[in-house]
Amino acid sequence: MGGRRVFVTGLGFVSPHGEDPAAVFERICLGESAIRMVRSGTPEMGTDVLLASIDFEPGDRINKVDRLFMARAAQMAVVATRNALEDSGLMAEGHGPEEAGVFMGCGLGGAEVLQRSYSIYFERRTRRGRPTTVPMIMASGPASQVCMQFGIYGPAHTYSIACASSSVAIGEGFRSIRDGYADVVIAGGAEAMLNDGSVAAWQAVGVIAKEHADGAGASCRPFELERTGLVLGEGAATLILESEQRAAARGADLLAEVVGFGASSDAHKLTEPSVDGQERAMRNALEDAGLPIDVVGYINAHATGTPAGDPVEIEAIKRAFGAAAQAVAVSSTKSMHGHLVGASGALECGITALALHRRRIPPTANLTLPDPACDLDCVAGVGRDAPDLEVALSNSFAFGGSNATLVLRRA
Amino acid sequence: MTPYAFLADVLSEKYDVDPDAISPEATLTELGLDSLTIVELLFDVEDEFGIEVPEERASLETLAEAVALVEELLKAKGD
Repeated sequence: MGGRRVFVTGLGFVSPHGEDPAAVFERICLGESAIRMVRSGTPEMGTDVLLASIDFEPGDRINKVDRLFMARAAQMAVVATRNALEDSGLMAEGHGPEEAGVFMGCGLGGAEVLQRSYSIYFERRTRRGRPTTVPMIMASGPASQVCMQFGIYGPAHTYSIACASSSVAIGEGFRSIRDGYADVVIAGGAEAMLNDGSVAAWQAVGVIAKEHADGAGASCRPFELERTGLVLGEGAATLILESEQRAAARGADLLAEVVGFGASSDAHKLTEPSVDGQERAMRNALEDAGLPIDVVGYINAHATGTPAGDPVEIEAIKRAFGAAAQAVAVSSTKSMHGHLVGASGALECGITALALHRRRIPPTANLTLPDPACDLDCVAGVGRDAPDLEVALSNSFAFGGSNATLVLRRA
Repeated sequence: MTPYAFLADVLSEKYDVDPDAISPEATLTELGLDSLTIVELLFDVEDEFGIEVPEERASLETLAEAVALVEELLKAKGD
């Protein structure tokens, strides 16, 4: 589809592998897992859970009083955005570009604050909750706080579409620039729902990985015969998107170009993915980009490591790509950073942009015995140089059957 | 810890108020608190002293008023 070209000119992470995108990418390409066994919950109710959690401390990057009104997800979004604005060169005296739009994805918002407010109600048996509860719970907290912290006056939109949240946020932010509604967009996602109430709910779904004999870091095994499930992570990732003209006028460094976005709905089952829906998301995205299928060299797969989910995505890739599927590299970096739910699309889109920039394809960790049902080139072990890499996809497929695919091109 | 010492401590530690600006006569608004943070502060006080501030008593201006209210509620509680 025509319109203005859109470039990624800044990238910021608060991720299980750290905050510096270059260092995060390096560790991921080495196949290093950030997943560990963590004691979760209260002493009497708690349990050991595999998580990709973060020892997050905003320090003086967010002032103390402002933090009183920010849930963990919002704090992570603010720090990731600060990192991205600094990386882009758009931060001046603590302020970002005031005309920017903010497009953020978030699944649960202030999950830990909601848990605390319910525990006050049920355990202390009082209706008197903290007055800061509501503004901290709302899923739009991260977007609003980004505006307030950096003096951003454009529209602030939040997309809450489970695991596809931040891919849709980036896709819609991309379109708003392409279609002329904005020149610069702060796009990304944040999720911090590793509070034990949320973790217990996820365990009840029956999709959480079991600890592997080789240790916690070996437990998330997308495309592998012995895979047992996903591992929850937390964090935030922000991309600065700019129109070609704006980026050129200030001589910005270009990390990658966003060239397409496609979405679709399965209209099938809440937690059971559909080949058809995923295939349509990829086809729609490539059609949006106006690119032929055979230019795609890499797909950062949604693949979470569940027995049911991974083969569906592989089948969808085969149907969307036809014979070209055999030539495309597919990897799941969730094998190392876990599933960041509402932030996963943004983190993986950032990793995909780095892959294009460095022409290096990140691997799928723990892929020692490939599942015959996942028989594409799934880049086992460590990263791989890809000197001809030009175009890559980033897939995010959500519970509820909401599918999103982003198409990026080397800048 | 006395109610005043506790309030002074929380104001400087949690709400980042300049310790030199804290005095019994200082109004909470002058110290930079808004309606939401004043209620949040009252919750800190309730948690610390095991009291409940009645809603109709929650509109406080100065630190001295806050201290007087806490002392009154502590006395009523029998501490």
